[in-house]
Amino acid sequence: MNHLNKTIALLLALVFAMSFLLCSCAEKEEEPVSRDLFAMDTYMTVTAYGKHAEKAVDEAVRELNRLDALLSTGKEASEVAALNKNGGGDLSKDTNTLLKAALELYKSTGHVFDITIYPVMKLWGFTDQNYKVPAKEDLAEALQLVDAGALDYDADAKTVAFEKEGVAVDFGGIAKGYASSRVIEIFREQGVTSGIVNLGGNVQTLGQKPDGTDWRIGIQDPEDEDKMLGVVTNHDKAIITSGGYERNFEEDGVVYHHIIDPETGYPADSGLTSVTIVSEDGTLADGLSTSLFIMGKAKAVNYWQKHFKEFDMVLCCDDGTLVVTEGIREAFSPADEDATVEYIE
Amino acid sequence: MKKKDFLIAGAVLLLAGVLTLVLRLSGGDPGGAVQVKIDGKVVGTYALVEEQAVPFDTDYGHNLLVIRDGKAHMEEADCPDHYCMEQGEIEKTGETLVCLPHKLVVEVVSGESSDVDVVAK
Repeated sequence: MNHLNKTIALLLALVFAMSFLLCSCAEKEEEPVSRDLFAMDTYMTVTAYGKHAEKAVDEAVRELNRLDALLSTGKEASEVAALNKNGGGDLSKDTNTLLKAALELYKSTGHVFDITIYPVMKLWGFTDQNYKVPAKEDLAEALQLVDAGALDYDADAKTVAFEKEGVAVDFGGIAKGYASSRVIEIFREQGVTSGIVNLGGNVQTLGQKPDGTDWRIGIQDPEDEDKMLGVVTNHDKAIITSGGYERNFEEDGVVYHHIIDPETGYPADSGLTSVTIVSEDGTLADGLSTSLFIMGKAKAVNYWQKHFKEFDMVLCCDDGTLVVTEGIREAFSPADEDATVEYIE
Repeated sequence: MKKKDFLIAGAVLLLAGVLTLVLRLSGGDPGGAVQVKIDGKVVGTYALVEEQAVPFDTDYGHNLLVIRDGKAHMEEADCPDHYCMEQGEIEKTGETLVCLPHKLVVEVVSGESSDVDVVAK
C-alpha cells in the first residue's frame, strides 16, 4: 500500500512537472514572419503574424519592388522617369492615385507640399548624392519650374501634361507612405490581422500585437542617434517622422538638409527639428511630415486644428519643447520625464 | 512513510519549477549578438560580449564593424554618405545599422529586449 502511494505521488508530481514545461512552451509568442529588402532608396522590413503571414509578406515584397520600379525617378524605365522625359503622359492606377493625393496636399498645405520641387532637389544634389550649394541664379531659374498648380491634370482621362520645358515631378514625398499603406492592404486581403511595416523608418501597423497589446513605436531624437523623444502606443496607424537630421551635408561649416522649402529653394529653417505624423492614412502622414516641418510650429498647429480628424502629431522644436496634439495625448509618453510638453487641443 | 512520499513529491515539483525557470531564462536570452547581412544574405553572426573589429569587403565597398562594451557601431565605411557611421551604437534586439550603398545591414538578433517595437525616423 505504501509503495502504491509513493508511486501515485511520484506520477502526480511528474504530471505537474510536465504541465509546467508544456505551459512555458505554449506561452511563447506567436513567431513573426519577416522579409527585408532594399527598395525606394531605403532598407525595408515587412512583418506579419498568423497562418497567412508567409504568403502575405511574399506578396508585400513583390508589391514594394513593383512600386519601386514604377516610381523611381532614377530608373529610366520607370513611369515617373518617362513622364519627366516626355513632359507628361498617361497615368497608371498608382501614379493617378498618387498625383491626386499630391495635388490635394498641395492645395491643403497652401502650396508647401509640391511634387514639382524635383529640379531644385536635383540642383542641391539630393537626388544623386552629389551634394552642393547651388548658385543663386541657377536656383532662381529652377524655382521658376516649381508649381504643381500648373500641372495640366485630367482626372477622367488619367493624363497629365507639364506646360513648361524642364518641369519634373517626384513622388518621393509620399511614395513610401503610399507603399506602406499598400502593404497593409495586402496584409488585410491575405487575412492577416497583425503586422508591421518599416520602410526606412516610415512605420505602419496593422491591428495590435499578437498578445493583444498596442504596438510601441519609438520616435527618433533628432539630436542624438542613440536616443528617442518618446513612444507612441497605437494600432492601425502610420507613424512617419521627418527631420533635417535624416539627410544632410556640410559645406563651409554650414549644414544643409534635404527638406527644401519650395518658396525659397533653401532648406526649411522653421524652428522645428522633427515632425512626426500619426494617421490611418500612410500617404497623408508621409506628405504632412515634411510639409509641417517646412511650415513651422504656428502654421502646423493651425493646420492640425483644421484637420484634426485626419491625423495627430508630435513636433520637436529647436529648444527641445515637444508639441503633442490631443488625439495622442494618452498614447504618447516622452522619454525624458523633464521634457517640456505642450498639448494642443 | 507518508511524510516521505510528500517530501519526494515536493522535491520533484521543486525540480520541475527550477527546470522551467532555467529553460525560460536560457531560451529567452542566450546573450546578445549581431547578424550581418549583405544584399540579403547572412554573412556572419558576432557575439556582443566579445570585443572585436570585423571588416567587410565586397564589390560594393568596405565597412568596419566594431563591437565594444556590448554595443556595435560602424567605425569605417567608404560609402559616399557615411550615414551608417552616424547611426550610433546598437545593443537591443531589432536595432539596426544600415549602409544603403553597400547593401549591408547589421541587426541585433538576440540581445536585451527593446522597450519599443520599431523606431520611426
